Amino acid sequence: MISAFRQVIQIARLTFLEAVRQRFFNFLVLLALALIGSASFFRNFDFGPQELRFISDFGLGSIVFFGSILSIVATAQLFFGEIENRTALTMLAKPVRRWSFLAGKVLGVALLMLVFVGLLTVLLGAYLWWREQQLIAIYHQAFLDKTWPTDFPDAQRVQFGGLALNALLQWLKFDVLVAITMLVASFSNTNLYTVIVSFFIFLICQLQYIAHDNWTKISSPFLRTLAWLLSKCFPNFQLFAVGELLVFPAKVPVPHLAVVAAIGYGALYIVVFTTLAVGSFRSREI
Amino acid sequence: MAVPAIRITNLTKDFRLGLRGVKLRAVDNLSFEVADNHVFGLLGPNGSGKSTTMKVILGLLEPTLGQCEIFGLRSDSVEARRLVGYLPESPYFYRFLTGRELVDYYASICSVPRAERGQRVADVIELVGLTTAADRRVGTYSKGMLQRIGPAQAIVHDPRLIILDEPTAGVDPIGSEAISALIIELKRRGKTVLLCSHLLAQVEGVCDDLAILNKGHLVAAGSVGELLRRGGQSNLVVENFPAAAREEIEAVLARHGAKLRHIDEARVALDRLFLEKVGPTEKHSKDPV
Repeated sequence: MISAFRQVIQIARLTFLEAVRQRFFNFLVLLALALIGSASFFRNFDFGPQELRFISDFGLGSIVFFGSILSIVATAQLFFGEIENRTALTMLAKPVRRWSFLAGKVLGVALLMLVFVGLLTVLLGAYLWWREQQLIAIYHQAFLDKTWPTDFPDAQRVQFGGLALNALLQWLKFDVLVAITMLVASFSNTNLYTVIVSFFIFLICQLQYIAHDNWTKISSPFLRTLAWLLSKCFPNFQLFAVGELLVFPAKVPVPHLAVVAAIGYGALYIVVFTTLAVGSFRSREI
Repeated sequence: MAVPAIRITNLTKDFRLGLRGVKLRAVDNLSFEVADNHVFGLLGPNGSGKSTTMKVILGLLEPTLGQCEIFGLRSDSVEARRLVGYLPESPYFYRFLTGRELVDYYASICSVPRAERGQRVADVIELVGLTTAADRRVGTYSKGMLQRIGPAQAIVHDPRLIILDEPTAGVDPIGSEAISALIIELKRRGKTVLLCSHLLAQVEGVCDDLAILNKGHLVAAGSVGELLRRGGQSNLVVENFPAAAREEIEAVLARHGAKLRHIDEARVALDRLFLEKVGPTEKHSKDPV
């Protein structure tokens, strides 16, 4: 069993190495970096102390948008690359269990997403810190000069710990998406089908909260059960969309327990979808 | 009695096609054994069931009926696959790794101890003649070099059984000769080799036994010597054969109740002539580019 886990790590490492050498990953990273960097154009508008919120929203939005694309496309591409190039044949003819192979792939893409989210969050954090220092100095001076009624408000200060926590939640959400894509890939025959179906599931997960909020209002027991089941089958990605509440001081702060619950929720779905993918892949003919 | 390297018993494999699940029988009630430390040729035209049989042996496909064992172990078990090295047809490897990294990766996947791994990798790379190209990326390798790095990854964990699927596909005669030499060397080291090839001259040259499949059925099996022997006929190879001697020989043969069927001019095989003319030189044999 120890050797099986070691194989998972080795497969994950190679998957990660393969992924970071792909042009698609580098292209998305550059594009997301460019978008975060382009937030400096906000300085042309006078947002006042709210400027940091705009920069943060813009940066977090870029991470979510490009991260979602990368999670789906990279997973599908790295899985079907192995199948189409028949490297999976060579690998599975070795003393490698199928679950090790699939878990290694999931872990490899999860590492890729960790680097993606980490890199962009560090850059966004650095940019926010730099701009925050400037704005604090400007507003403090304006306050001293009595051209601005108050000093820079604490409510507009960035909570860098919250930014890091948000990165962790986003990474977890991307990993759920990776596991979902792997489940689809485990039974589908083409890369394109996997990508399209996974994007549809992503949309359902984004909108799942509507079903979740409404299933209690349905009068028909059958439909209510169906809506309840659907709301459990697809994870609610809105639970991870707490970026602004974490990055800036909120009137009602996010409880620590809610963050821990969201982490557990994400981890549970990753385990469930990866287990289903392993079950489906076990009977697949290579 | 020694446990055979491979024992296939009444193997049948069906594939379901399309939505209606139409059944296609790829292999039908196949049984044969491959003896330990033998080189075994698995022959057959395209679609004869060779690849399906090999995938069952490798545990990549589940048989519909029957069973397959490797050294007495179920072929789909991880324990059995520890004993097997596999070279797929037209191998594709991770292009971004160097040859050494690739072989090292497969060695680590096969749980070769870290302390032994470096030396083991160097040894197999030398055995396949890729030492000078070992630190180049696989993406820069020629087809011949890819065909050589393939066997290296297949044997790096020192398996007892090596399965080679079309190892000479698209390889020039020098490369083919090198692979034949490798197969003979593996046998000398006590390994069993299952060779699947359309290069019949090579199969004849290196295999001890063979099986021929057609449309999923076994149509011939046995030792190469037995299968290729023409009963009641012999060849004589004569140097400086004078035309005048022919009548005398025919008369002698007639006295013994035999008959001279025909006389051919002795010819060298084309691949042998090619090798005599162009190699294998030291460079070719060690480092084909």
